[in-house]
Amino acid sequence: MTQELPSHYLYPAALFFSKEPYLINTILGSCVAICLYDTTLKIGGMNHYMLPFWNGQGLASPKYGNIAIEKLVEQMLKAGCSKQNLVAKIFGGGEVIDAGSNMFNIGKRNIEIGETMLRDLGIKIVASDTGGKLGRKIQFNTQTGAVLMKLIQRTLIPQNNNR
Amino acid sequence: MSKRTQLSDEELLEELRLRIKKSKDTLLQLQQLNKELQIVNKKLSESEALKSHFLSNVANEMVNPFSSIMGLSKAIMAIGPNDFEKAKPLAQLIYSEAFNLDFQLTNIFAAARVEAGQTNVEINMVDINSLIRSVLEAYDFKTKQKKLSINLHYTTDENLANNFFFPTDAEMLKVILSNLLSNGIKFSSANSKIEINAGIVDNELFISIRDHGRGISPEYLEKIFDRFDKGNKEINSINEGYGLGLSVTKAYLDILGGRIDITSEVGSGTLIIISIPRPKDIEPEGFAFDGNEFIFDEGDNQTF
Repeated sequence: MTQELPSHYLYPAALFFSKEPYLINTILGSCVAICLYDTTLKIGGMNHYMLPFWNGQGLASPKYGNIAIEKLVEQMLKAGCSKQNLVAKIFGGGEVIDAGSNMFNIGKRNIEIGETMLRDLGIKIVASDTGGKLGRKIQFNTQTGAVLMKLIQRTLIPQNNNR
Repeated sequence: MSKRTQLSDEELLEELRLRIKKSKDTLLQLQQLNKELQIVNKKLSESEALKSHFLSNVANEMVNPFSSIMGLSKAIMAIGPNDFEKAKPLAQLIYSEAFNLDFQLTNIFAAARVEAGQTNVEINMVDINSLIRSVLEAYDFKTKQKKLSINLHYTTDENLANNFFFPTDAEMLKVILSNLLSNGIKFSSANSKIEINAGIVDNELFISIRDHGRGISPEYLEKIFDRFDKGNKEINSINEGYGLGLSVTKAYLDILGGRIDITSEVGSGTLIIISIPRPKDIEPEGFAFDGNEFIFDEGDNQTF
């Protein structure tokens, strides 16, 4: 059945939400992806952020956790979802050695901002797989809310230059 | 327990010293964090100010070109039946104004999509050579205006010499190159040279652009990717644009997993190198429906 759903590959710093059912795929190293699912409307969306906070550098994009989470929640509420029906699943934030990054503990801080913001928004985290030393491939079925995950070696992770 | 009671004075002092050092370190860390917070605060308020400046800027940058386009078109319409030769320079001016508008709008929309997280990436095999040439062609009239000469070189792995294709998003790469070239031309001294070098080395596409213009000061180099920041504020009237070009460039390179390095010396010019890794494990468009096969095989995946 899932074979029939259209799929979308989510790039880092982007987010994806649609009222139509989708399979959203992404690959995570130290980045974090949050899958939000409305258990009543049976629709969902995902973000994929690289750094915890926008610090005024560059564009105020969902590359940064604080913006990515805000924007995804905003879009879902606009589409008629209500906050108490939303549940979250968090993935990623591995300690992946990133040649281009000089940031310390970036994965951990990405996880931290996600958990904190979701708690503050009152959105329950119903599943998560974060941290560790490996990367992850995930696939979010926005119709059922199920997420498939596979751990991957770091060589497969696209090198994101965080800075 | 019994050991603790037998601590000698020296050991006690040592322990004390350790603890004092620890609390000092914590304090230092806290001070460091506070400093960072201050910088971020300042940046955010600057960004706010620049944003409102941007809005007033839009008025100038949009309204002025349109009024000159309208004025110039009127002048063309007024040309008598035997004077059509006179239309050519006017049409060139119209083209140049419209070209600038188009370029600025492209950047504004690109920045808006990046900030909304809705940049559409379409990876296709792109002929890098023809893409660079098409960008150069678009800027031909500008390079001629400034009497610049542009040297284009390729360095590629031998087996790629005749086949300069790279899987990437053509539209995004075009926006990146247009911005770099536009800056290069804008800040070049008249009659100078711009050197462009491109190639694929070790599975990375790199393109470098060197100009011999006024260069970038180290203070500005730090903020060069910030939105709405245009560097030298005193020359706003000559320095057209919104200060979005390099922030869009950086954001696009982030999405493509690439890098940008800028080295510059005031008075002697700027060298910009971008590199983009060959996309790994990213579905080329057209295979998108095979999502399941692409990511997951039987067995070793987990469901949440």
